[in-house]
Parts: sequence; C-alpha cells; structure tokens
Amino acid sequence: MRTRSIAHIGALSLIGALALAGCGSSNSSTATGGLTSGSSGTGGTSGGTYTIGFEGPLSGTNAQLGINEVNGVTLAVNQANAAGNLGFTVKLVKSDDQGDPAKAPAAASKIIQNTNVMGVIGPSFSGATLAVAKNYGSAGITIVNPSASDGTIQTHHFPTWHRIFPNDYAEGPAAGDFLARHAKKVFVVNDLSAYGAGVAGAVAKELKKKGVTVVTQGVDAKTTDYGPISQTIVNSGAQAMFYGGYDAQGALFAKALSAAGYKGIAMAGNGVKDSVFETGAGAAGVGWYFSCGCQDATVAPSAKQFTADYKAAFKTDPGTYSSEAYDATNILLAAIKKAAAAGTVTRSAVNDAVNQTDYQGITGHITFSADGDLPVGEGTVNLFQDKNQKIVGLGDITKAK
Amino acid sequence: MTDFLNFLVAGLSRGSMYALIALGYTLVYGVLQLINFAHSEVFMSGAFGSLIIINTVVGRGTHTLPWYGVVGVLLLGLLSGAITGAIVAWTLERVAYRPLRRRGAPKLAFLISAIGMSFFLSELAGKMFNRLNDNNFPLYFSPNRHILHLGGVYVTLPQLVPIVSALLMMVFLDRLVSKTKLGRSIRGVAEDAPTAALMGIDIDKTIARTFIIGGALGGAAGFLFGTAFTVSNTMGFIPGVKAFAAAVLGGIGNIRGAMLGGLTLGMIEAIVPTAPWGSNHAWIGIQWTDAVAFVVLVLVLMFRPTGLLGERLGRSA
Repeated sequence: MRTRSIAHIGALSLIGALALAGCGSSNSSTATGGLTSGSSGTGGTSGGTYTIGFEGPLSGTNAQLGINEVNGVTLAVNQANAAGNLGFTVKLVKSDDQGDPAKAPAAASKIIQNTNVMGVIGPSFSGATLAVAKNYGSAGITIVNPSASDGTIQTHHFPTWHRIFPNDYAEGPAAGDFLARHAKKVFVVNDLSAYGAGVAGAVAKELKKKGVTVVTQGVDAKTTDYGPISQTIVNSGAQAMFYGGYDAQGALFAKALSAAGYKGIAMAGNGVKDSVFETGAGAAGVGWYFSCGCQDATVAPSAKQFTADYKAAFKTDPGTYSSEAYDATNILLAAIKKAAAAGTVTRSAVNDAVNQTDYQGITGHITFSADGDLPVGEGTVNLFQDKNQKIVGLGDITKAK
Repeated sequence: MTDFLNFLVAGLSRGSMYALIALGYTLVYGVLQLINFAHSEVFMSGAFGSLIIINTVVGRGTHTLPWYGVVGVLLLGLLSGAITGAIVAWTLERVAYRPLRRRGAPKLAFLISAIGMSFFLSELAGKMFNRLNDNNFPLYFSPNRHILHLGGVYVTLPQLVPIVSALLMMVFLDRLVSKTKLGRSIRGVAEDAPTAALMGIDIDKTIARTFIIGGALGGAAGFLFGTAFTVSNTMGFIPGVKAFAAAVLGGIGNIRGAMLGGLTLGMIEAIVPTAPWGSNHAWIGIQWTDAVAFVVLVLVLMFRPTGLLGERLGRSA
C-alpha cells in the first residue's frame, strides 16, 4: 500500500509539473531601459521620450521569427534616433510571449502598464494577436502588426489593430492556385494553430474550387515524430502536399517525409519560410516551396539599403518579416511624429494618425481599410523555394510556372 | 497490410526509445520509490553530449559516410550519450536526492527537488546552447536508404537503429539485473532496503549505481531521439511524460514491464490513430495521438491497476 500512495503522489506532482510548465518561464527581456522614462505618464512634452513596444517570441522554438522582427524594429528605432528629425527620442520595450496565446496576456500587460508606450509592433503570431488585441484596444494602444497573417483577425474589428501585409486569405488562395497547376490530388496538413489551420483551410478551399482532390489532416505542433503522417501522405498517392504551420515543425516534417520516400511537391505557408527550416531540414528541405505575403528583402530592389543596414547592424541577412517589422515601426514613428506636430501625443492621437497612414515602405504601398487590414487586393504574394538549403525568392506567385 | 506493417515499424522504433527512457524511471522507482522527474533532462543532456562529440568528430552538415563510418558514429554517439547521461544522473543523485535522504526528508520533498532539477537543467541547456530548435546532428547517412525492403514494407536506417540498439541494451540490462552481483544488490535494495543493509549491501553505492545505469540508458536514448528528430533544451518534456506513462503502463518498478510498456505505447501511438491504414481518411486521425495513448493508459490501469506486469523490481527479474 505504501508504494501505491507514492505512485499517487507521483501522478499528482506530474500534473503539477505540467501546470508549471504551462505557465512557467513566461518572463520577458527588457530592451534598452524601456521603463526609464515611465515618469511622463500623460505623454510628455515635445522633445521628450516616447516608448514603443514589441511583442513576439524571443525565446522558445519559434524565437527566430521574433528575432527577425525585433531586429527590424530596433534598426528603425536606431535610425530614427540617429537622424534626430523626429523631435523626440524613441525607446523600445521588448516583451516575450514565446508565440504562445497563453503567455501573450502577461507579455501584453507588461507593455500596457508602461504608460509611456504609444504603440506596439506585434504580436508576431496570429494566436497571440487574437488573445491580446482586445487588451491593447481597451488601453488605447495602437497595434501595427507585421506578421500575424490569420485571415479572420480583421473580422473581430479590434479598435486599434492594423496589419501591413496581405493575410492568409490572400496567401492561401494564391498557394492553392499554384498547387492546382501541378497536382490532381493534394494532401493538406495543418498544425492546429490559428495561423496553420487558417492558411491550410484557405488552400484547401481554393484547391476544391479548382476541382483538385483534397485530403486534410491536423498534426499537433508539439509532435516530434512526423513518421506516421508522412507515411499516410505517401500511401495516399497525393502528388503534392501543403503544410500550414511553423518553421521548427516544418523542418521535422520535411525530414520525415523524405525518410518515408515522398517524391511529390512539398509546399508550406510563410510560417515555415525561415532559416530554422533551412538548417533544421537540411537536404530534406531542398525543393520545398513557400508562399508568403512578404518580400525577400535580400533580393527586392526597394529594400537594398535596408538589407545593407540590417547586415551591418546584426551580421546576418534580414529574415522573414524583418522588412515588414521595419516598415511597421516607421509607420508607427511617423504617426507619433504627426500627433506631436498636431498637439499632444496621446495613445488615441497616435492611433488616429496610424488609421490615416498612406505610406510607401520598402515592402510596398501601405494604407489601412476600416477594419485595420490592408485593403483587399493590395499587396503581392510571393513564391519562394529552398534551393541548396537556402530559401530564395521566385517572385510573384501568380506569375510562377 | 503493407501499410499497417510500415506503421508498425514506425511504432516499434518510437516505442524502443520510450522503453529506454522508461527503464530509467522504473529502476529509480524500484530502489527509491521515487519518480525521478528530472530523468527527462538526463535524456536531453545525453542528446546534447553526443551532439557535441559527434559534431566535433564528424563536423556539421552532410557527410555521407561509408558503412563502417556510420557504425563508428553510431557507437560513438551511443557511448557519448550514455556517458553524459550517466554523469548527469549521478550528479543529480548526489546533489538533489542524497542530501534529502540523509536528513530523512519526506517523499514529497524528493519530488519537488526532482521537478526543480528538471527545470534547472532544461533552462541551463537553453542558456548554454541556444533556445532555438535548430541543433541538428550531421547527416552522416542517407536517411532514405532502406535497409530492408520486403514487398511494400521498408525499414530505414533511422528506424532500425533505435530498435536494434534498444533491444541489445534491454537484454544487457535484464541480464545485469538478474545475473550479476550488482543486479542482486539492486534487487535487494528494491525489495527491502533495511534488510539489504543488514546483509552488507552498501545502499548509497547501490542507489548511485542504479542512477548511473538509468542515466546511461536515458542518455543513449537521447542520442537516438536526437538523430531521428532534433535536439533542443525542451526536447525532454514530452518523451519524458510518455516514457513515465509507459513505465506505469508496464508496471512501475518492473524492468520487463517498462520495456513492454514502452514498446506497447509506441505501437499504439503509431497504429491506432492511423487506422484504417492506407486509406485517405483515418477513423481517429493523427491529431489524437496523445489522447489515444493516454486513454489506453487509463483503460489498462482501470483493469490492471498495477500495470501490465505488476509493480516491484525485486520480484520481476
């Protein structure tokens, strides 16, 4: 009996460990003294200091996307401060949500509680955005979203939310069209996240519309063993597969697919298009296609200067969404400047200024429709491919063969 | 049928890794009646240890080696993983458990200590290496090379290696525990520690050695898991929970039970959610893999509360 009761304790403490792992380590790293100027609660005087927030994954398995973005944000802030023509100094406060909707509220409240924060770049992920856009909204903080691509976010009409690039509903159909040109039967897999299910659903819908046979399955993003699903795909005889999910999982999936002897077309959404996939999948990832409502900053002519500056600052090429984060930050800074010129800088004045944005950035021409999203039909979805373990842009997906 | 067999092979491969990790839980439970929750981090340490050694020897990237090179890398990886795992497990016992045992701390204190060490080791690895999921073993063999190809059934090298090495290690452990002097003292401590001490068995030494054996198996499993999938500071959590479940499924404290439980759990995970094999629409679906595994665990424990083979290390071997 003694041993039995200990087994019970074991089971209980296992539950405890699970709970701890669930809510633990949601801490965050502070940027260059983001709280130092918190004294000027009502927005400060002209010539003062304003803070902008960044929320995204800075640790955990999806950290690379967050790092790509925070580097873009940091670059924009540093350039603006160095140029000195804003009339005020900008500080950046970073908050780490690990890309996890459960950890996003804590990360958001860190930014919201800093009364000097005038706007936020992020959250990087769709699930996190859906979890906290309301919180930012009720605090009046404007959100400029550089990467959360879920196609339903705009339908929630969050009061202060904006997005600067085409969403999954633009990316998904474009990817579906591309696959429909090459396959009669497509296996669509998603990672059961808001983003993964969104983009995969949009792809599947478009494929069905084109008369392609579609098989869909979900695989939880915590999985490490993609052997069974890869086997299922090979057995199904599909000529192409699409994965809606994120980079680290995509890499494992690519390796398992290759081991299972899959020879068809493999394609994924923007969440997989990253250096983590390149190194993680290695040779198994070569040939994978990616759709992305983003640009390849390393080849886009409009981003030449940005790419050079980024490389000088961070010793690496810009990654997925680095240039979008850069544009988003410049939009926010321009809005703060506009509010300062018109009178006092308050959170609501900045939000109004962001609403009226008409900005020519390195990723394209950006305006916002009433729901905060890029107007329908604006923006270009690009096709990318992993060639020799390096993801390169192939240009506009509608023109790809 | 061939589809079914392909899933079965995948399940056996996964189950072998679960079994190796489960042995670490069960051995320690046998001698201490303690669930060593830090064992999942011993597993993770083994993966990092072997990763560092192999990246140093072979180099990063792709180096397709001749067959003797592949065998060499596998042996080196298993050995370095096992040694790292053993060192970490031994240190763990010295730092986190022995001081508590000396002071006669309640069992709950051991569990808290174990969970604390688990978080500590995982975060330490995150700090030392990076927190991204991109630590990979060099690709020293072609993962698509089929070792066996019977009809439509194929077995790839990454699948075969865990099965064979796990089987060899499990046979070795079974012999070790049932036939050697060390094994006898482990069984003695498991059955009745005070009496074993009266018979001249050094309990502390036996416990330390048990940790070393369990840690070596877990570390070797870390290498196998790392080559098949990926290495990261959080890699231990899910396999750790699954292996713990496997140990309970087979009967916690029972060595053959842990082996059986691991293999059973791996096969259930691969086979049940994918049925009917080879058709487009699965009845259950792969997204329910974890649910299926734990439902089976609950069902087994409802009808056999002590697991498939029953508890007690002392009696089993």
